[in-house]
Amino acid sequence: MSPDTKVRNGASGASALLPRVNDQLESWTQRLVRGSGAHRGAGRMVVALLIAFALFTALNPRVFLSPINLQNIAVAAPEIGIISIAMMLVMLTGGIDLSLVAIANFSAITISMLHNTIAASDPALANSLGIVIVLAGIVVGMLGGAVNGFLVSVVGITPILATLATMQIYNGMAIVWTGGTTLYGAPQLLATIGQTAVANAPLLFIIFLAVAVLIAILVNRTALGRMIQLEGANPVAARYSAIPRRAVLMKTYTYGGMLAGLAGVLFLARNPTASADYGASYVLLVIVIAVLGGTNPTGGFASVTGVVLATLTLQVVSSGFTAIRLSSYEYAIAQGVILIAVMILDAVSSTRARRQKKVASAPRSDVPTPETALPRA
Amino acid sequence: MSSDTVSLVPSPVVSANGIFKSFGGVPALVDVSIDLIPGEVHCLAGENGCGKSTLIKIISGVERPDSGEILIDGVSHSHINANAAIKSGIQVIYQDFSLFPNLTVAENIVLTAEVARRRRLYSPASVRPKAEEILRDLGLDLDLDREVSELSVADKQLTAICRALVNDARAIIMDEPTTALTHSEVSRLFALVERLRARGVALMFVSHKLEEVLAISQRLTIMRSGRQIVTGPTTDFDERSISHYMTGREVDESRVVSELDATAPLALELVDLSLAGAYRNISFGLRRGEILGVTGLLGSGRTEIAESLFGVTPADEGQIKVNGAPVRIRSIQDAVSAGIGYVPEDRLSQGLFLEKSIADNIVASSLRSHRTRWGTLSRDAIASTIKHYFHGLKINARNAQAPVRTLSGGNAQRVVLAKWLATSPTVLLLNGPTVGVDVGSKQEILELLRVEAAKGMSVIVISDDAPELVSSCHRVLVIKQGRLTHILEGDEITVDTIQERMSA
Repeated sequence: MSPDTKVRNGASGASALLPRVNDQLESWTQRLVRGSGAHRGAGRMVVALLIAFALFTALNPRVFLSPINLQNIAVAAPEIGIISIAMMLVMLTGGIDLSLVAIANFSAITISMLHNTIAASDPALANSLGIVIVLAGIVVGMLGGAVNGFLVSVVGITPILATLATMQIYNGMAIVWTGGTTLYGAPQLLATIGQTAVANAPLLFIIFLAVAVLIAILVNRTALGRMIQLEGANPVAARYSAIPRRAVLMKTYTYGGMLAGLAGVLFLARNPTASADYGASYVLLVIVIAVLGGTNPTGGFASVTGVVLATLTLQVVSSGFTAIRLSSYEYAIAQGVILIAVMILDAVSSTRARRQKKVASAPRSDVPTPETALPRA
Repeated sequence: MSSDTVSLVPSPVVSANGIFKSFGGVPALVDVSIDLIPGEVHCLAGENGCGKSTLIKIISGVERPDSGEILIDGVSHSHINANAAIKSGIQVIYQDFSLFPNLTVAENIVLTAEVARRRRLYSPASVRPKAEEILRDLGLDLDLDREVSELSVADKQLTAICRALVNDARAIIMDEPTTALTHSEVSRLFALVERLRARGVALMFVSHKLEEVLAISQRLTIMRSGRQIVTGPTTDFDERSISHYMTGREVDESRVVSELDATAPLALELVDLSLAGAYRNISFGLRRGEILGVTGLLGSGRTEIAESLFGVTPADEGQIKVNGAPVRIRSIQDAVSAGIGYVPEDRLSQGLFLEKSIADNIVASSLRSHRTRWGTLSRDAIASTIKHYFHGLKINARNAQAPVRTLSGGNAQRVVLAKWLATSPTVLLLNGPTVGVDVGSKQEILELLRVEAAKGMSVIVISDDAPELVSSCHRVLVIKQGRLTHILEGDEITVDTIQERMSA
């Protein structure tokens, strides 16, 4: 789950090593992809990540390969990556959750508010209660997700509309609560997490990878995960296979909210400020990442590995643009172009798949037995 | 094919010549040639899955042939598209009729022609006379102002035929037009077909019902496994030879039914089960190890009874007992926990996850019983279940990781069957278990059911395929207009009795 570190070492050592690392990675990811049951996304994202990395290394090696830049990528990627994984999870059911970023902010604001309120009277208590306060933020995220789940599964509102509404609600509540200001302050625990590194890898990044592994296990190795996939692959057949749709959707959106809540924690760990309008551009970015990572927008198929790689690719492109002095607007253009390029690739391969799909639906004989020659009148 | 007779009759409106078509490397049509001649009913007969529908799709421009040509009025096309086919007067009336249920009969008859003429404004006053004219021409009695959703199946069919004629149809292809009709409705349809023939329309009838084939057609083509077995004047055939050509063997009406232990306990019991608008007061018992047939015409309520047992559309009234204990079935989960499994009618959309692997499909309904004590899925347990059913049911695929969409009808059905067998149900309901399945596979699937029944599973087969019921069922229930009208047992179970009781 850490191909990026390999790339970084290989590329920073000497760019001549790249092809070899590439080959090694290719086979390694292939095996990983096959092992994790993911069908698409991961392979092509390895290629995209390497291309992006090589491109910016070539354009401005001094800035792009600087330890600070690489450090930045590893620290900024986790929060986006975890929300993208949450997005992948709900998209796997054939749904979508637009409120994830709002939930993440709400979680960050809850933590900051609780911390500041307690710290106002007793700073030491606030820090010793750090873990509880952080958990409160994650629980708020779960509640937000549960509300989404309720609206989608029990009430039966189309996911895009239900979560559009809750996005507005959570966002509005956050603004009302904070009065539109930016909050400063978070438990010391989070600052520690944000600054810790294990063997040169920021702890934030390790948390990201750990979450990815857990969700990969959930998706591929648990009954719930399989049900999520089946629900997304064909909701009608899922119903006729006695898959409890409501419970599955409820849990999926709740898990999504929990991950968003965790992302809120990471916001604060990186920077102890919280505001309602943080990461507004993430809403669409995480959809781009999920789809780039091989998540089928209509549900049923996704690859956690692919989403992790897609997160890193976009982060590399983002910091690469900064390294060659392009603006965030140009980065936005690049996001759109990358998404369309991948969609075109998908369209090509899915037309092929659809053509084959007719095989199953077209009535025909099962076994093409050689006919005993009967006379035609 | 029929070059010897062409000179005697008008030239064909449409001909298909040497059509080849394969799907994913499996041939669906092999060198098929057919002519539709004005004033003639050409019957296309063959078992489910023999390639009839594919041929229709190619003639009507929905599918493109791999090779061969379509001749319209003698002009050759390597393929045509659906619009061009309609413009040249080729109309297909599918089993679902493709009508707009929310529009009136008159609107349905006229609207597509108006659209085809690129009229931008629609005026009810101006189109009505056209609809009336068609009805008068054909001597039909249809209420033009009723909404199509309120019509009976037969009247919907008439509406579809009228629509075809308004579109200047010169060749009308009807796909299984009599499946859902009663006897008197069939005769009414046949009378209309005669009038169409007199007007010089070329007709193609797709059917697998032998008496109909003999009664209505002048020319007959029989297909089997994608090949055109024989084409000739209908007078050259009789029921026996048709069925011989269709199946490639003598019809096997033999019953292979095990002796049922008379003291076997009831696995399932229905007491006065009713669902408004679908069926009323259905009561019967099903013994352990019994295979029970439930038959009736399309829309008789046979499918609704099965779907109520499976919790899709729960019954309003009455009681269901499984193994003697009353159960409440309000949802599919209720049914499955009560030990009921259901192989649905529409295998492709309801039964299977087409894009998922065979393996994923097999364990789809039994995931919870494959858990380790950590709550994760046990790879070993799953692998052994998959291996057991993949080999046990002889699913013909390279390996269990292949997506289900690559499978043929018979193999896909085995996957659905495997999915339910993996839940070890007390009662397994199967709706049209061998629809779209070839003859060989059909026998094997029935044999699988016999084996499972012998092991103690109770089976309900919902089907209108009389030979299949005869060959496998201990008893056959006949449902008519939502009521259980006959229970056939022992020697009463013959193809003739079943068909007669079904439609009388």
